[in-house]
Amino acid sequence: MSNRRFATTARWLAVPCLLAAGLLAWYVTREPASPFTTDTAVDAALVSRGEYVARLSDCVACHSLPGKTPFAGGLEMATPLGAIHATNITPDREHGIGAYSLADFDRAVRQGVAPGARRLYPAMPYPSYAKLSDDDVRALYAFFMQGVQPSAEANIPSSIPWPLNMRWPIALWNGLFAPAHTYAAKPSQDALWNRGAYIVQGPGHCGSCHTPRGLAFNEKALDESGTPFLAGALLDGWYAPSLRQDPNTGLGRWSEPEIVQFLKTGRNKHAVVYGSMTEAFNNSTQFMADDDLAAIARYLKSLPGDPARDGKPWQYQAVSAAGRLDAPGAHTYVTRCASCHGLDGKGQPEWMPPLAGATSMLAKENASAINITLNGSQRIVAAGVPDAYRMPAFREQLSDQQIAEVLSFARSAWGNEAAAVDAKAVAKLREHTDPASSSPIILHMR
Amino acid sequence: MELRINQKTYQVEAEADTPLLWVIRDDLGMTGTKYGCGLAQCGACSVLVDGNVVRACVTPVAGVVGREITTIEAIEEDAIGKRVVAAWVEHQVAQCGYCQSGQVMAATALLKHTPKPSDAQIEAAMVNLCRCGTYNAIHAAVHELAEGGKA
Repeated sequence: MSNRRFATTARWLAVPCLLAAGLLAWYVTREPASPFTTDTAVDAALVSRGEYVARLSDCVACHSLPGKTPFAGGLEMATPLGAIHATNITPDREHGIGAYSLADFDRAVRQGVAPGARRLYPAMPYPSYAKLSDDDVRALYAFFMQGVQPSAEANIPSSIPWPLNMRWPIALWNGLFAPAHTYAAKPSQDALWNRGAYIVQGPGHCGSCHTPRGLAFNEKALDESGTPFLAGALLDGWYAPSLRQDPNTGLGRWSEPEIVQFLKTGRNKHAVVYGSMTEAFNNSTQFMADDDLAAIARYLKSLPGDPARDGKPWQYQAVSAAGRLDAPGAHTYVTRCASCHGLDGKGQPEWMPPLAGATSMLAKENASAINITLNGSQRIVAAGVPDAYRMPAFREQLSDQQIAEVLSFARSAWGNEAAAVDAKAVAKLREHTDPASSSPIILHMR
Repeated sequence: MELRINQKTYQVEAEADTPLLWVIRDDLGMTGTKYGCGLAQCGACSVLVDGNVVRACVTPVAGVVGREITTIEAIEEDAIGKRVVAAWVEHQVAQCGYCQSGQVMAATALLKHTPKPSDAQIEAAMVNLCRCGTYNAIHAAVHELAEGGKA
């Protein structure tokens, strides 16, 4: 190719390239639209409605630290690239969101874009909050502006290094993975189901933990149209189980009233909340209205299970652990576990959960079983009263091998048929996790 | 609710989730069973329920209605329990004694399930804590019982 022909071709190519670059620059720095053009009048009822939406959305779980001013931020979230910290969302004008208009607030909550077109990290679950209704966003804004005390707590910068800390590529991620629309009611379903779908997909952001994520750390489905939705996922050393109709790893054996009871009191005959769900229960689900809990239960019970993933449905087999003392781990089970969980594996419902048929004892992923044995459970605080019966931490008392053996035992007793646990998996989690605090942690919103 | 403790029937008024230990000690005045950690870790509160050792501090009382509870007060009415206590005396196990009612319960339950336990089984079953460090005496007593010794 002659020099002149090359120059001509380059000139022709430069035009679309520049155009594309310009378009990209506009796209990643643009401030998306918001339906709110003016701020609306605020009364006490709207503030209180907003407080309830904040409970549904569990804002406090990340934006507050125990013993600190509510919503002043600070929770550290580790990512493979570095740590990010939840920000101050009190109405302080300098450090918080006091200078936000309703439209600014809306863009941050539903689209992940802060004023100045700065993209938030999707650690903020805006792909779920995108479903929030205009009314709920308006109420939430009223609560944060008038129901929350301002705090001058400075935000902690992220420790993600340049160039990975550039935020504009998140705009492209949003274009691919974040929905652009609020929840649209399905006319084929009744009002209860639609309310449940709205809470689960939107403010409740259940999928943040319970939906498996793809390569770009995107939730593989954001509603019931995708079968990975709420199909169970491994996150932060815990296995968040399926919330679909899987009899082993999901809610297949739970009735609607049992789901309501679990979210309202933290326990039912199948399970007691533990792991990350303790925080979701302590700060959010127990405060939900009974109607809303019934709606959630109705919606979750409509999500079909997948026998290919879940395996053969569990059936109880009556065996006493005391009759199998020759099996590795059985002695440890009898002396350390059976007091609460029973020689028959049935626990003491509804105070001590059964291990017979428990998700953690049936799931392929063994992280939750190992993690709770090493580190115990946090205090469940239901209706202001800390739970008397807490899973203790065994990390100081049992070796990796002993924990592997006792879990392998429990995962193969009473009809449980899950793979044995390897001591190396215990060692790995031991290194990366800390024992649960024994103090009741209550995050206040006011 | 109605509880069967040491072959006697007691009527107790308690919330369903009250720990069995509170009922035994505070409501019924049987203070031989001790409160240690409150977390099922130390074993001082051990009692037998249907012959199995359980930690009364983490046992909701409603869960043991209709079951046979045995506390240290009546352990010598059980043939194996009687042998265990005799071995404890023989070996002069107790120092301060606070944990010993639980230790006796653990040993009794072990021997009920496994009359001739191996060393490993004894190690695995006798996990109650003792601040005085009487572990050597405890193990000596249980070993002798395991071998069917005179105690």
